[in-house]
Amino acid sequence: MLAVFRKELLTYFTTSVGYIFMGVFLLISGVLFTVGNIFGMSSDYSAFLGGLIMIFLLVVPLLTMKIYSEEKRQKTDQLLMTAPQGTMGIVTGKFLAAGALFLLTLIITGLYPLLLSFHTKMDTAQIIGTYIGFFLLGLSFISIGIYVSSLTDSQAGAAILTFCVLIITWIIDFVASFMPVTPLAGAVFALIIMALAAGWMYNATKNIPSAVITAAVGVALTGILFLINQDLFINLIGKTLSWFSLTRRFSDFPLGILKLNAVIYYLSFSGFFLFLTTQRIEKQRWS
Amino acid sequence: MIKAIDLTKRYGKHTAVNKINFEIAKGEIIGFLGPNGAGKSTTMNMITGYFAPTDGQILVDGENILSDPEKTRGKIGYLPEHPPLYLDMKVDEYLKFAGRLKKMSSEAIAGDLNRICELVKITDVRGRLIKNLSKGYRQRVGLAQALLGNPQLLILDEPTVGLDPKQIIEIRNLIKDLSEDHTIILSSHILPEISAVCDRVLIINKGSIVASDTPENLAQNLAGMHKLHLQIKGSEESIRAALESLDFQNNISMTGSSEDGVMSVVVEAGKETDIREDVFYALAQHKCPILQMRPLDMSLEEIFLNLTTVETGGNE
Repeated sequence: MLAVFRKELLTYFTTSVGYIFMGVFLLISGVLFTVGNIFGMSSDYSAFLGGLIMIFLLVVPLLTMKIYSEEKRQKTDQLLMTAPQGTMGIVTGKFLAAGALFLLTLIITGLYPLLLSFHTKMDTAQIIGTYIGFFLLGLSFISIGIYVSSLTDSQAGAAILTFCVLIITWIIDFVASFMPVTPLAGAVFALIIMALAAGWMYNATKNIPSAVITAAVGVALTGILFLINQDLFINLIGKTLSWFSLTRRFSDFPLGILKLNAVIYYLSFSGFFLFLTTQRIEKQRWS
Repeated sequence: MIKAIDLTKRYGKHTAVNKINFEIAKGEIIGFLGPNGAGKSTTMNMITGYFAPTDGQILVDGENILSDPEKTRGKIGYLPEHPPLYLDMKVDEYLKFAGRLKKMSSEAIAGDLNRICELVKITDVRGRLIKNLSKGYRQRVGLAQALLGNPQLLILDEPTVGLDPKQIIEIRNLIKDLSEDHTIILSSHILPEISAVCDRVLIINKGSIVASDTPENLAQNLAGMHKLHLQIKGSEESIRAALESLDFQNNISMTGSSEDGVMSVVVEAGKETDIREDVFYALAQHKCPILQMRPLDMSLEEIFLNLTTVETGGNE
């Protein structure tokens, strides 16, 4: 893990990727800060960080597009996968390297509130809280990027797809508000999920009985729950979709509220995608 | 040291390696020989753990490689068909990274690096970016990576591809030196290389092993016939009469040659008989002087072609 972490971090700085990421991020955030906070004479720094999320959506694909696709294209994954290292460790090493570069960039932006503090009294705790939230959000974005990169051997493809997925997580709350809220719609949605699970089961095991059992259990469970308590299915689609809304949980941080459940949400979200990436890579040995 | 039992790899419906069995003792050098797409690289990828076999198993030191993959991978140095190089790294950085991946300590890496760079002769390019190196140097950096940490088992997939003839000889000698305390599997489509280096050859075709023996035995057993190539001065009839007077079962083919009145003749005889003297006396009696005589031993190349084209013709 450490070997991969060191190598990835080094590669960010021996190639242009690290500089482009930091340069673009710092340039745009600098412009926004100058226009919004200095010319606008505002000391509301948290609002500024909230606005940065959009820029971050744009530059995260830069950070992660190469991370696995390039290994596959150059066939260097052969070195990693035949080394006495676990795949989870390798994936985590790459994730931490991207996270470290992001952290470094964030630390540089720490100069902005420092500048403001010469002129006005700043709420330090609130700024630190926002930074923590922003960092956790970034880690989640990066974990999505790494997973997408492991799906393809084209850098450009990985970048575009990552960007699309991130945009979707960003607007998903908005989409969710248009979903039907009736219990029946929720139940149908649950059944579709069960069907997908059964299909996945069949795809993974090539075993028809196990897929049928999965589907039957799913349908039975949905039916029973629907009869017992219909309220469970009210707005199920919207609730499920907004589970994927990464930005919604960020909104508490700029208020200076450090919610444990939001922290755990971000960390487990990242962990889940790293796990998916590991599975995806391990599966290549068996295909 | 390595044992493959009914090793099979299928990609969807295509069977790349079909139930092959082999055993490799400690200290042996084995050559995998086969045409493109025969399954050599797939077999190597399975031994190194890059691919998992669809069926069958591989035992390294008596232990299934899937039971503790990380430990097994630590025993193996692997040079894949395309050396897995990070083009944006310097040679030194790359090799240090490879060493750390192999869980070597910094001191061990530093010591080993000097030794190996001398061994594969890349000391003078250690500070250069890999993307600026020629194919030959890249190949050697890949080899250095495989040698790092002194693994007991070396698996080299076409180690001399892209090298010039002088470098090929150097690498060949290096492999011979390494064989004293390593088990080595190498693959190649360059046949003289296999016969020069390997103790034993496994000829693989269409996913199956079609022959396994020492290069010498393969040449002897499969050659079947002694062939002589002759340039003889004389008329076709007298030469034929002279050769047919000999009492061994033979097969004569005759063509004209560029020189006037000189025939180019190929004579075949059973494998244990030396017919050179008899041919000389018979032709001398018929006053047909021999201008040139050259034995045509079946080369590994011809054996290889025979095995991979004739024998499998009926199978698929």
